[in-house]
Amino acid sequence: MEKKILTIKNLRKSFGTYQVLTDVNYELPDGMIAAIIGPNGAGKSTLFNLITGYHHLDKGTVLFNDIDITNWKRHKIAHIGISRAFQVSNIYPRLSTYENVRQAVLAQQKKTLNIFTSASKLAKIETEELLELTGLIENKGIIAGVLSQGDKKKLELALALAGKPRLLLLDEPTAGMSAEETFETMELVKRLNKNVGVTILFTEHDISVIFGYAMRLSVLYQGKIIADGLPEEVRKNEDVQKCYLGEEI
Amino acid sequence: MNFTFILSQFLSGLTYGIMLFLVAAGLSLIFGVMNILNFAHATFWLIGAYFCYSFWSYLNQSLSIALWLSIPLAAIAMAIIGAFIEIVLIRRIYKRELYEQLLITYSLTLILGDLIKIFWGVTDKLIERPEIIRKPIFILGAPFDSYFIFVYLVGFLVAVGLWWFLRFTRYGHIIKAAVYSREMVSALGIPIPKIYTFVFALGIFIAGLAGAVQAPIGSVTLGMDIAIIIQAFCVVVIGGFGSLIGTFVGALIIGEIYSFAILFWPGGAMVLIFVITAAVLIVRPWGLFGSPTRM
Amino acid sequence: MLIFLSGLFFILPLIVKEFWVHILSEILIHALFALSFNLIFGYMGQLSFGHAAYYGIGAYTTGLLMVKADLPLLYCLPISMLTAGIFALVLGFFCVKLRGIYFAILTMAFGQLVYYIIFQSYSFTGGDNGLQGINPPEMLKNIYNYYYFTLIVFIVASFLLYKIGESPFGYTLRAIRDNAERTEFLGINVKRYMHINFVIAAMFAGLAGALWGPFSRSVSPDLCNWQHSGIPVFMSVLGGPFNFFGPLAGSIIYTLLMAIVTGYTEYWPLISGTIIITVVLLLPDGFFGLFSKIKRFIISV
Repeated sequence: MEKKILTIKNLRKSFGTYQVLTDVNYELPDGMIAAIIGPNGAGKSTLFNLITGYHHLDKGTVLFNDIDITNWKRHKIAHIGISRAFQVSNIYPRLSTYENVRQAVLAQQKKTLNIFTSASKLAKIETEELLELTGLIENKGIIAGVLSQGDKKKLELALALAGKPRLLLLDEPTAGMSAEETFETMELVKRLNKNVGVTILFTEHDISVIFGYAMRLSVLYQGKIIADGLPEEVRKNEDVQKCYLGEEI
Repeated sequence: MNFTFILSQFLSGLTYGIMLFLVAAGLSLIFGVMNILNFAHATFWLIGAYFCYSFWSYLNQSLSIALWLSIPLAAIAMAIIGAFIEIVLIRRIYKRELYEQLLITYSLTLILGDLIKIFWGVTDKLIERPEIIRKPIFILGAPFDSYFIFVYLVGFLVAVGLWWFLRFTRYGHIIKAAVYSREMVSALGIPIPKIYTFVFALGIFIAGLAGAVQAPIGSVTLGMDIAIIIQAFCVVVIGGFGSLIGTFVGALIIGEIYSFAILFWPGGAMVLIFVITAAVLIVRPWGLFGSPTRM
Repeated sequence: MLIFLSGLFFILPLIVKEFWVHILSEILIHALFALSFNLIFGYMGQLSFGHAAYYGIGAYTTGLLMVKADLPLLYCLPISMLTAGIFALVLGFFCVKLRGIYFAILTMAFGQLVYYIIFQSYSFTGGDNGLQGINPPEMLKNIYNYYYFTLIVFIVASFLLYKIGESPFGYTLRAIRDNAERTEFLGINVKRYMHINFVIAAMFAGLAGALWGPFSRSVSPDLCNWQHSGIPVFMSVLGGPFNFFGPLAGSIIYTLLMAIVTGYTEYWPLISGTIIITVVLLLPDGFFGLFSKIKRFIISV
């Protein structure tokens, strides 16, 4: 029995009278690269929001390595090893790219209560490493707000990686990227998974990315998981084809 | 501690509450619709009082109903001034940060305060009351300033008038819609700036009216605005920003607390009011009648 | 730049008349007040409209200790900081549960609360008569000596504030200002950091207040009211909240102007109000923002 890094049971979430997620059950084995897909509005971002503590869920439980993290506070969840890259880049627009990443590194190193040392002297190596890793080293001095869409996404990833996560949630990681950037980013993700053992859960609309990298695919439709398994099998699933009628798969 | 005494205190608190309501109603309206906290609101109120005095002293030579005319005249004058200031200044800060709005309305307090000094001087202004309201009346044995009947009337009219306006008139509906979505209302072809000018002018009208009504009570002096603006804030916090009922209830609560607290702990009345205000902010920031979504 | 400024402040009293030395002391004390406020405002992005409460608490602590217990000034200063800090610990706990306008109003409500409590405690604090007869120690009775004492305290305090601003903590404050949500996701308990910052800022405001008592020989509850809370806001906005020296520049401009204008007219509120409105409307980043714009313009030309 493989170890499950993430277990979701009977998850339910409504906003007002609108039920976004209904009885979602999901298990993610440790060390996997998995994808969740579904049409817009299916509830993917909400699912990520609930896992990372952005919203409170109405019903159900979330287990991380068998620890119940249901409705934990966001910063606590970040600390136990779950990191997230947002769909819409959620960065510090007025700080430089370097300062953005450094902030994340300092937070991970728990050095942020330090009021005595100059921040510019700390975390140099780790910050530079992350910038290299995500291909941002040339842009490190630029104010983050003026980066291109693709670069902002890379910064998103860098911020998420700085947390040294065991589980990395990526919300459309390659949106707005060129084919080359997409390849670089997903290869990086793959290397992280293989060399460091980070479990990856991502959502995407880019078919080639899904089938190129996901070891496991789940389909979320109208708040329920309607299919779950190896990508090739899911592709052939009739229900999935029905819900994507009119969209290519 | 007999009944008459308690009734007296109660009525006193009620009166104070109604006065506070009149000051705070415009403040709540302006914040509710335009999302701007008008620090200068009480200063407008004070200018209304000064205007009332001026109109009265001019008209009193010839008319016996001078006071009763001066009050609405002062309110109208304030509405005009309010509209002017809205167009010239407030328009520029719709989209600004909170601190910029606060600083600007606070600076307005400073400027207007000095303008009062310049135009009206530093001496207290006393309005001689007409015969009819010079003697107290007695309610169940408790002496009661007869002028306060008029105050209650005005308070009631303003409360009901505003409620009716927002609930039943077309323009009132437009204003309520603008609270929820500026974009939709402009998309429907109704200019937001016009609505805001109207709302601001209306708020200042009420403030001016309140000030004018206040004028014959005691005297009109400098610094009354500073004393009352914070209490008006407390009213709006406790009652709930943007809620008419909230402002009314909040004002009455503060009025009564103040009136009775003075008996037991003369100095502590204000302390108590601030403790309650802080408590409301901590436990239920949107006030008794406000809605959480506005946070 | 720093050295030039410090040098200037050291030399000036030797050149100018005694009246101006009073003003210079005021500038420094106000600047410290404004610098402490800017930790919350410029660095962390929240508007505290009750910061004067901590200034007043510091002033009264020193005043009371010196008048009633005859404690030397040097001991009073840290005790004042501590007292202010303790109040901020309690009050700040509640304040940081809120943001934006609610934070501003709660800080203002607490400020008024402190004001009225001091006002009320007639027997203890002298009520609205204030506390008189706060005399600086023999050595510092001379205005020049007190000025240099204030200058030294100011330089040390602002150096500390600068270090805090450049530390990881300081950058975390900026992160909270720019994107509190993201900062939470990085694993930082934003409320806790806001609380800590609130206490630090209050302590330095208390220090400024503590310096004020012996300077003006008396303290009054007015030091705590909301109008006084507006002063550091003015100064920070005037000078530029996003530059460390902004509040200092603001203090220089504001205090100097006030000293000069009140010599000619009683309508200082009118003038200061107009200036604030002009600056807020036209110079969003204060005078330092203006400097950078001019600098960039000159460079590009």
